[in-house]
Amino acid sequence: MSEAVVTSKDTSEDTSEAPGDGPVFAVENLWKVFGPRAERIPGDSELTALDPAELRERTGCTAAVRDVSFEVKKGEVFVVMGLSGSGKSTLVRCLTRLIEPTSGSIRIDGEDVLAMDRARLRELRRHRASMVFQHFGLLPHRSVLDNVAYGLEIQGVGRAERRAKALEVVKKVGLEGLEQRKPGQLSGGQQQRVGLARALAVDPEVLLFDEPFSALDPLIRRDMQEEVVRLHREEGRTMVFITHDLSEALKLGDRIALMRDGRVVQLGTPEEIVGSPADDYVRDFVRDVARADVMSVRSAMRPVGEGEETPGAALAPDAKVTEAIEAVARSGFPVRVMDGKRCLGVVDHAGLLAVVAGTATAGPATPGPARTPAPGKGEVVA
Amino acid sequence: MATATASTPARDTGIGALLRHRAVGKLLLLAVAAAVVVPILNAKWASGAWPDALTVDLTEPLGRTTDWIIDNRDSHWLFTYFLGHVSNAIVLSVRGVYLVLLAAGWAGVTIGAGLIAWRVAGVKLAVMASTAFAVCGLLGMWVPTMQTLALMTVAVLASVVIGLLLGLAGGLNDRAFRILRPVLDTMQVLPAYAYLLPFALVFGMGVPAAIIATVVYAAPPMARLTALGLRGADGGVMEAVTSLGATGRQRLLSARLPLALKELLLGVNQTIMMALSMAVIASVIGAGGLGDRVYQALSTVDVGQALAAGIPIVLLAVVLDRVTGAAGERVGAHAEDNSPLRGPRGWSVAAAVTVVAALAARFADRVDWPTDWVVNIAPSVNTAKEWMVDHIYTGVPVVGGTADWAANFTEWVLNPVRDGLQGLPWWSVLLIVAALAWLIGTWQTALTAVAAMGAIGVLGVWNKSLDTLAQVLAGVAVTLVLGFATGIAASRSKRFERLLRPVLDVFQTMPQFVYLIPVVALFGIGRAPAVAAAVVYALPAVVRITTQGLRQVDAAAMESSRSLGATGWQQLRQVQLPLARPALMLALNQGVVLVLAVVVIGGLVGGGALGYDVVFGIAQGDLATGLVAGVAIVCLGLMLDRVTQPTTRREHSAKKGA
Repeated sequence: MSEAVVTSKDTSEDTSEAPGDGPVFAVENLWKVFGPRAERIPGDSELTALDPAELRERTGCTAAVRDVSFEVKKGEVFVVMGLSGSGKSTLVRCLTRLIEPTSGSIRIDGEDVLAMDRARLRELRRHRASMVFQHFGLLPHRSVLDNVAYGLEIQGVGRAERRAKALEVVKKVGLEGLEQRKPGQLSGGQQQRVGLARALAVDPEVLLFDEPFSALDPLIRRDMQEEVVRLHREEGRTMVFITHDLSEALKLGDRIALMRDGRVVQLGTPEEIVGSPADDYVRDFVRDVARADVMSVRSAMRPVGEGEETPGAALAPDAKVTEAIEAVARSGFPVRVMDGKRCLGVVDHAGLLAVVAGTATAGPATPGPARTPAPGKGEVVA
Repeated sequence: MATATASTPARDTGIGALLRHRAVGKLLLLAVAAAVVVPILNAKWASGAWPDALTVDLTEPLGRTTDWIIDNRDSHWLFTYFLGHVSNAIVLSVRGVYLVLLAAGWAGVTIGAGLIAWRVAGVKLAVMASTAFAVCGLLGMWVPTMQTLALMTVAVLASVVIGLLLGLAGGLNDRAFRILRPVLDTMQVLPAYAYLLPFALVFGMGVPAAIIATVVYAAPPMARLTALGLRGADGGVMEAVTSLGATGRQRLLSARLPLALKELLLGVNQTIMMALSMAVIASVIGAGGLGDRVYQALSTVDVGQALAAGIPIVLLAVVLDRVTGAAGERVGAHAEDNSPLRGPRGWSVAAAVTVVAALAARFADRVDWPTDWVVNIAPSVNTAKEWMVDHIYTGVPVVGGTADWAANFTEWVLNPVRDGLQGLPWWSVLLIVAALAWLIGTWQTALTAVAAMGAIGVLGVWNKSLDTLAQVLAGVAVTLVLGFATGIAASRSKRFERLLRPVLDVFQTMPQFVYLIPVVALFGIGRAPAVAAAVVYALPAVVRITTQGLRQVDAAAMESSRSLGATGWQQLRQVQLPLARPALMLALNQGVVLVLAVVVIGGLVGGGALGYDVVFGIAQGDLATGLVAGVAIVCLGLMLDRVTQPTTRREHSAKKGA
């Protein structure tokens, strides 16, 4: 687990190195309402104030996505997490208009997705964003190789070329030797590798994952999560990842949007979500998380005291509390937190214990926007 | 009207109470309506049979229409520019196929059939297919077999193309589906026999009418299964395909159609079986071929000839069913085909061998089936039948004889039921139909059933229809008793079921027509043999549905009852039968539909009533009588189907809640 967290840290550093790029996806005030005359709901402030049960009672409509805004930065893994029925799967389908949003705006690289005509939208789906599905969605009558090559076939790529490309991707996801099998002859994990390979084969700008590993056994799920981490490390591709599994979200996500009843309740890094939950719902949600594995030493740090600037053990500011506990326990003294040559502060027993116990309030040292505004208003990250 | 009764019962009294309550409510409402309406009807038209004042005599207008069609067949634009071309195209294509089959000769056809079966279904079925054709030749039925095969080929091709197009429309367009579905569902329950006359009227007797009737009868299952298959495509797969940016056409060709392949092949299989069934029955309107031989033989009660022509029909049915069925199963299997003859190469080898065989027979001057290879079974069969007539028809000690049984059945069952029905006041028949249909289904089905029954009265064939109805009821009763008993036995004993399965398989594939042959041999002619044929025809379906229904009863419920110490009989009565109720209702529905289909064909062997009117109408050129009887058969079919068609309670209440 710790390895995965370190990896995601590495990539977030990569993104900060290229700050000039705009967001890949920019979603603003997105609504998706199912039901009769759904389009009247988002504009009507009286109706939008209702909770889901009342709304269904009054109008017969269900708001799956309510006023959601966020941005996905280039190269990051953006996780949308929530329980079933929270609207996360609807949200990801709205991104490529597999489900037509009711109102709001979606931009990909600055281009308005909702204004695209059919040809342009196909172009988007063919080249820029491909999706991996919970139930795989493989064509049962085609071999693994032909399934992987399917996206290229749709684009009109010649047979020899698409097979060569597919073969390459099949190798990349570790399915070598199974090219001629039919999906029905594969295990669930292998089938999802085919699904992943199919999405990768078209070399998309963004990969969208809709609960890809929920249908898999726990051990295979962990393998697949590591596969995604590895792919991300190697290629740095932007990913939007939907999951209902908190540990999966914390493991994979650079940033996490937590959804409830169609709204984004909190948006932030795993550390922010665990360290400073925006409301009781989120707090309840993250209660059982092993905080020491998620929180960085920044949250346990206090200013340097008298005579503590002596050399000795030192930690990077992004090191996890687990590592600090180990270092402090070994030396028996407070440990310095060093950003390059500069000493930011020290961590000691008391600070670390406070984090583990959950009594530490996220200090001012925590970078970035720690809290979302009041739940219900999705946050726009600048 | 239904809402008022349905909304009253209190929900907390449990489902049983609710059910009883609802049924009582319906009956009460019906009783009140009857109390008001019946005296009025009685005063106005009296009771007894359907009043003459309420009938419409269609004989004259129908006769005029017939005359007009016959007079204008060669001159009117509708015939010369449209129907004439259709008719010519059919005649030409049937003749073309027939000539090809004849040119291939018996060697070419026998070997070709074997090789096709080999390619699509494996070696075992290849041997079976070749043997079947050889037997057709041996029985001296080569030419009629080829005629039937030519008819079938054209009819099946047309049915599959039309069915596929309709199915595509229904599968891709919701509105088309909503329109198509009830039409197709209804067409499936109508007896084949009722389709014959309208086409005979328009096209005259002969091959075109037979082919078109066959297509109309055989295309619906293809359309239905195509539409259902296309609609049933896995939503997840379709979404994934869309997410990759596929166009509508790519989605259809690369995903939706391949995903529905199994249903499409099942549709082809059903279409072939129904086309064979109809192509045989259509001999009544001049289709020729094997059916015609059976028809001619039956009309002179020549059982030997009928059997000689009937066996090839059965063989054709079994071979066609097995081969197409096996092709369908292969689609789902993942078996890797690594033989050197897979794909196009195997097909070209098959084609080459067939051509060589055909040419060899031609050079050996043996194109036609050699006459010295024919075994004429008719005389010996007839001798056996004479022996039966002498020895087991009557006077067998203790058990009586088959003819005695038939006579007794007619006298003690058919006659009382018929007289009883005909003796009922006409309005009470309508009331009974309404009550039954409403109790089992919804008020819509009840309304349809009553309207259908009323139409029969209006057409002026009330008594004849009740005669047919009496035969159907007697047949259904016998079928259900035998079918449920056999089904229960099969569901309790695995060994019995294993023995039964191949028998059911063969029986279910046989065309309706051939069932008449053995019953005529056993019971002579009359109403009882017609009912017997219907029972034999309907029995396999009833047995199969019953067995499956009982087998599919929730294993946990069975286990828990066993753990409470229930005896086998208690288990059956208290757990299995109540839980299998939907299956049993379906068995009843199928039984009724199938029995009716054969009872009307029984008109050919002295069944009388509506079936006879159809035959008479065709034979005498009196299409008016035939058509009225045909419409009455359709109405009877509709009524019987609706009366026995349960709608699930949930759907029912959901509809009411809206």
